[in-house]
Amino acid sequence: MLPNRSFRSGPQSHPLRQSLTIFTTVVLMLMAFATSAYAHDVTPGDAGYIQEIFGVHIISFIYLGAKHMMTGYDHILFLLGVVFFLYHMKDVAIYVSLFAIGHSVTMLLGVWFGWGINAYIIDAIIGLSVIYKALDNLGTFQKWFGFQPNTKAATLIFGLFHGTGLASKILEYEIAEDGLLANLLAFNVGVEVGQLLALFVILIVMGYWRRSPNFMRQASVANIIMVGLGVLLTYQQIAGYIAST
Amino acid sequence: MYNAPKPNIKDLPTKAKLHRSSIIAGIGAVFIGVCVYLPAEYGTDPTGVGNILGLTEMGEIKQQLAAEAAANEALHGGNESSSLMNDVFGLFVGAAHAQEAWQDEITFTLAPGESTEIKATMEEGATMTYAWSATGGRMNFDLHAHAGGEDVTYERGRGQTSGEGSFETPFAGDHGWFWRNRDDANITVTLQLSGAYSEIVRSE
Repeated sequence: MLPNRSFRSGPQSHPLRQSLTIFTTVVLMLMAFATSAYAHDVTPGDAGYIQEIFGVHIISFIYLGAKHMMTGYDHILFLLGVVFFLYHMKDVAIYVSLFAIGHSVTMLLGVWFGWGINAYIIDAIIGLSVIYKALDNLGTFQKWFGFQPNTKAATLIFGLFHGTGLASKILEYEIAEDGLLANLLAFNVGVEVGQLLALFVILIVMGYWRRSPNFMRQASVANIIMVGLGVLLTYQQIAGYIAST
Repeated sequence: MYNAPKPNIKDLPTKAKLHRSSIIAGIGAVFIGVCVYLPAEYGTDPTGVGNILGLTEMGEIKQQLAAEAAANEALHGGNESSSLMNDVFGLFVGAAHAQEAWQDEITFTLAPGESTEIKATMEEGATMTYAWSATGGRMNFDLHAHAGGEDVTYERGRGQTSGEGSFETPFAGDHGWFWRNRDDANITVTLQLSGAYSEIVRSE
């Protein structure tokens, strides 16, 4: 799985130490995640507010949608995986749109028809999507199976799962029937706004990083870490599911 | 090795572009923090933008809920993790209180926009225990008293369907609730009272 980087020429700043530093960071992040238990748990504040109000509140729901996306690190992690190796803005736009279409469709339909899919199961699948994308970035599917699954299709399909996850969280918010459709559409707009804001920051960081001569070498470590985080997310949700049954 | 080629330096945004974007992102983050996040989370609105967007109300309600949760926790010492839990917990507490003997039970109905005042005449240092619940909609209220140039506010709330608690009077006079229906349907409230009061005064 590790790319054979030792054959690269040029000065290298102890790749082992570098990996160790990153590994330590990841362990610390895992510990932070472990305390917060769920991927994008609804805070009592937002849920409490939503349960107090009724009627159409467009801007409030745009805000809540954006906040939900920006604080939902499983979505952000997948988004990071998707744009990791996209160097052209045109490609970024295509893939991010596919993801947006995917999650919007199932989010709106899911809430509207009240699909009561178990939040643990859907969040476990979202964890798997992170693993999938990171492995895809590492070229694992070509290496293991000798073929490359369509990356655009995968982005759209996983987008559908992410949307189902969003829907199950919104159902927990118990938005009042009064003004539901308008508020839901506003929430969806907010999710896209939050995604674009997150993307803006991701692209700046990636922009600096890609200019570094070490980028390709560090990219493999980063994607392996991403696999690890995906495994952790999936594990947490499966453990949660088992504990809940 | 990867599912992507090495980036071509020509395809990447220049350092100057990245610096510019970083500055824009920084300014944007400060703007969102001050004009959107502070109002929407804390009800603090230094610029007035939050009020225009209607987000300050969200922050105020969240702060109110947080204060209620803290008060609840201080009262019951529990570790309720959500407002829903508080509601459920509140129901149980309400039911427990109801099993005590209430002196009075008052039921009234308010149409949208209507208001009424229900107060109890009490001496200084007297205690009142109460519980109420609303059906048909959500109620706004102000539990207060004013007499002889003095005034006190015990509790204010809006958009609530139940409440319970007690208060001790700092001065003699009529102590009680101003109720207003800001919802869009008739609301029926059942209010239960017990404590050291001599009579109940109602005014429309």
